[in-house]
Amino acid sequence: MLNFQTIMLFVGFLMIIAGCYCMIRTYHMLKIIIGIEVAMKAVTMFLILAGYMNGHMGLAQAYVITAIVIEVIVAVVFAGVTIGLYKKYGNMDIRNLTELKG
Amino acid sequence: MATIIYISLAFLLIFCVMAVMSHSLLKSAIYLALASATLGVILYVLGAYWAAVIEVSVCSGLITVIFISAISLSKIKKEEVQKLYSDKKRMWFLPVMLIVVGVALIVLALANDLSLTNTAEKVTEDFREIFWNTRQADIIGQIVTILIGGIAVFVLFRDDEDKK
Repeated sequence: MLNFQTIMLFVGFLMIIAGCYCMIRTYHMLKIIIGIEVAMKAVTMFLILAGYMNGHMGLAQAYVITAIVIEVIVAVVFAGVTIGLYKKYGNMDIRNLTELKG
Repeated sequence: MATIIYISLAFLLIFCVMAVMSHSLLKSAIYLALASATLGVILYVLGAYWAAVIEVSVCSGLITVIFISAISLSKIKKEEVQKLYSDKKRMWFLPVMLIVVGVALIVLALANDLSLTNTAEKVTEDFREIFWNTRQADIIGQIVTILIGGIAVFVLFRDDEDKK
């Protein structure tokens, strides 16, 4: 019988697959950010699971807070780039980035 | 405790898949917020109270606001997104793949008797002591990251104002 730690590991693995699939298969920039966020949620869950299993929950929480801060900054910067891309090209297709110079 | 975690994990996976598969960007952002809230429940049940509070407030609140702001600024219709990127044709493969991989993982774990177990006794740690004293370098890194993010957003929006 599988315990909940093992099931959490499997669910996190499936979430990473879903996030990577979203990043690979779509050209929409906001959808790509959503894929990154989904994968980051799995990483957050893995960190807390590791802390729970090792008994060092305080240290795991410190790492998770750092990961959340980085996650927010990535989302903010990506959203800014996305809006800039929309203003320049009228859509959010990531293939337009290849036409940029400099 | 295990029952709550099992139910939350099921909802978490469903919300994440819906966020990835939804054709509407607004619905995707809302499903992502729900996934963050569900993850917050899991973190709270496991005993990570501070991480749960920050996950719910920041990931479920702030990031959703950022996404909805970006969507509202773009003014792209749902039909245009579907037409341009044809997500409907591309995303049907995901649930099938997740079910196959999930079943394969469970069968492999049961066949080889793989099961994660706690390796150590729970240590009583004060989170504030670790966060503010032991991991001070992390705080400096976070401050630098926030400053870089602020500068990046300022630069991105400044170019637009210069043109006006």
